[in-house]
Amino acid sequence: MPASAKSQAQTAASIAAPTRSKLSLKGSSKVVAEFFEYSINSILFQRGIYPPEDFQVVKKYGLNMLVTVDEEVKAYIRRIMSQLNKWIIGGKISKLVVAVVSLDTADVAERWQFDIEVFSKGVMTRKATLVADKENAVPASGAQTKEKSIDEVQSEIQAIIRQITASVTFLPVLEGRHTFNVLVYADGDAQVPAEWIDSDPKEVRNAEQVKLRSFSTNSHKVDTMVAYRLGNAE
Amino acid sequence: MSFSTPVKSRPSIASCSPSRMSYQQPRLDSSPLTPRRYTQLTSSFMSSRRRSPSGAQAKSCIHRQASSPLKLDSYLPEGALAGTGPVSSTPKRPTKKQLYRSSVQGDRFIPSRSSTSTAMSKLESESKISPVSSDSSASSTSSAPSYQPNTVALAYQSSVAEACGLALNTRILAFKPEAPQSSKPIDLRSQYNRPLKPAANAQLRRRLPTSAERILDAPGIRDDYYLNLLDWSCNNQVAIGLDRDLYVWNAETGTVSSLLQTRPNTYIAGIKWSGDGAYVAVGLSDGDVQIWDAEEGEKVRSMTGHAARVGVLSWDHHILSSGCRDGSIWNHDVRVAEHKVSEFVNHQAEVCGLQWRSDGSQLASGGNDNLVNIWDARSSTPKFTKSNHKAAVKALAWCPWQLNLLATGGGTYDKHIHFWNGTTGARLNSIDTGSQVTSLQWSTTYKEIVSSHGYPDNNLAIWSYPTLVKNCEIQGHDTRVLSSALSPDGSTLATVASDENLKFWKVFEQIGKKVSSAVGGTLGSGKDIAKVMMIR
Repeated sequence: MPASAKSQAQTAASIAAPTRSKLSLKGSSKVVAEFFEYSINSILFQRGIYPPEDFQVVKKYGLNMLVTVDEEVKAYIRRIMSQLNKWIIGGKISKLVVAVVSLDTADVAERWQFDIEVFSKGVMTRKATLVADKENAVPASGAQTKEKSIDEVQSEIQAIIRQITASVTFLPVLEGRHTFNVLVYADGDAQVPAEWIDSDPKEVRNAEQVKLRSFSTNSHKVDTMVAYRLGNAE
Repeated sequence: MSFSTPVKSRPSIASCSPSRMSYQQPRLDSSPLTPRRYTQLTSSFMSSRRRSPSGAQAKSCIHRQASSPLKLDSYLPEGALAGTGPVSSTPKRPTKKQLYRSSVQGDRFIPSRSSTSTAMSKLESESKISPVSSDSSASSTSSAPSYQPNTVALAYQSSVAEACGLALNTRILAFKPEAPQSSKPIDLRSQYNRPLKPAANAQLRRRLPTSAERILDAPGIRDDYYLNLLDWSCNNQVAIGLDRDLYVWNAETGTVSSLLQTRPNTYIAGIKWSGDGAYVAVGLSDGDVQIWDAEEGEKVRSMTGHAARVGVLSWDHHILSSGCRDGSIWNHDVRVAEHKVSEFVNHQAEVCGLQWRSDGSQLASGGNDNLVNIWDARSSTPKFTKSNHKAAVKALAWCPWQLNLLATGGGTYDKHIHFWNGTTGARLNSIDTGSQVTSLQWSTTYKEIVSSHGYPDNNLAIWSYPTLVKNCEIQGHDTRVLSSALSPDGSTLATVASDENLKFWKVFEQIGKKVSSAVGGTLGSGKDIAKVMMIR
């Protein structure tokens, strides 16, 4: 996969980016989308939404990532990702949420939230103004000023994936059968296919929140957070 | 007293709007009901406010008027006869303020503005008698406060949204199709302590048999420890000697054929397939050794010479060794007319165990004289003679993965399996099995050996080597197991017992390689056998 990311960067480099080690907006969108795909797979595996036998080890981000091999689940995630790709490239979504929902009670047990922030350099003027505002509010996003190499981005993603993996140590054991929902916070002007419907935010009641690491490319910043319900604490 | 006011106001209001009528009834009631009416008023007031057309404005104007009599009721003691507009306006003002504030805006500073304007409008509407003029004045005055709350609310909403970090024009979208459900319940706890090796998966774990895979009849089999009446060829054919008859059961097709029948007064004493599976050597009770072509079903040659019955045979390529009741072992070269090429004489009693090592360099023999001899192929004197067994030695097996390892099992008074180094002659290990050992078969798949037993347990046992741990014990037969044979793929063990049953056991089933061997189409893979066994 690093090779494909690189080739993506190369094709992008011939159009816009000055050097090949940097990511253009398009390449960055791809990185973000790919990160989501692996994150969803990791969550499904780590939280036991599907049996461990359904997952296969794949080398990615310098880690052993587990990716589902169940055809149904694969197809389902592919359908989500195809739309997500379009939205991310268009800069139309600000959050991605993976909600782990109990099959029996339909309660939301866990909520994995990925906040997407788009930096832009005049590619999208509307976004540019937004970013200018955000920068005042969040001085931490100084990453935007210096150019990031693919390797740096990868190591940041690696850290997040490690945290997702490690989160099973503090997350409560999910009793009973669970399924998952994918939510996005889309802009009002985003094109929405019929498969996507308006929804409530699927917040977790009595939630405990843990903020995980974030990663950023030259064009995107992704913050990760998990909210979960405390076992019996009411 | 209080009736005077309603009566006076009724005509003018009735002409104004029919909605007024609904408030006449409550007015007749006493003051305790005021709160309820108050809520009615607010709700209707709000609903009218939503509608901007002038007609609605007129209605709102009327409601305000309607509220005044109500309040009048409560203030009646001090108000007395003062039922006219100017007097009633004093108590009215605060209530209207409250009403307006609670229903529309949460802002403290608005009442001052609204009170002035509404007071004005009220005064105007009350003073006017003609409905048309009151309509126009109401619409002009109340139009301003009716629009203002909307814009204020919007601004308020946006400011709250901003404070919460939400963008107003975003939508929360969910992917509507339901996620596929997992086929089975998952317990993560079992996952946390899962072993690193996937081989330990329950589905892949080897199951040791507790019942036979298949049972065939073996009528008339001679219950004689010293005979060897069962063998399985590399062509996946099982030969079994039943008294005078030799039957061949094809494990792939399930067909049975009678290969030969011996002369009367004789019986079959020993059977051995040649290495290529094309021929079967048969030792007879009268000392004759015959070679039969299994496919053609005819005798290839007869090699006479033994003085007594030939109970055991062993092939090494073209050399057929035969063990005789008189204790002699003859080596026949089946290719030449003068078949007898050498004779190994050491045993003092009937030879009942005979086994060439797979590379043909050594021959192990066991006899009724309780001896185990290990012969070098080139020498007619035994390399080693072992007298550790205390009973006849019929069970002999060379280890497939360690060429010089020999296992031997003793009879009823011995009950031991000894392991020998064929090169040094050293005894490596021993097992006390507790029963007569009738046969031994090494696994080609696992580091295990299976032994069959006679008195007293009549069982099968699977042992790990070299740990000598008993992995499994199978109570397979009612009476003693006479002989055993391993399928060419090494997965299945055939056993025949004096209860006239021929049973098949999947003792060494290959878990990982099963598929590949079936695909490879090797000779008689375990899958083929299993399939046939299920069909037949």
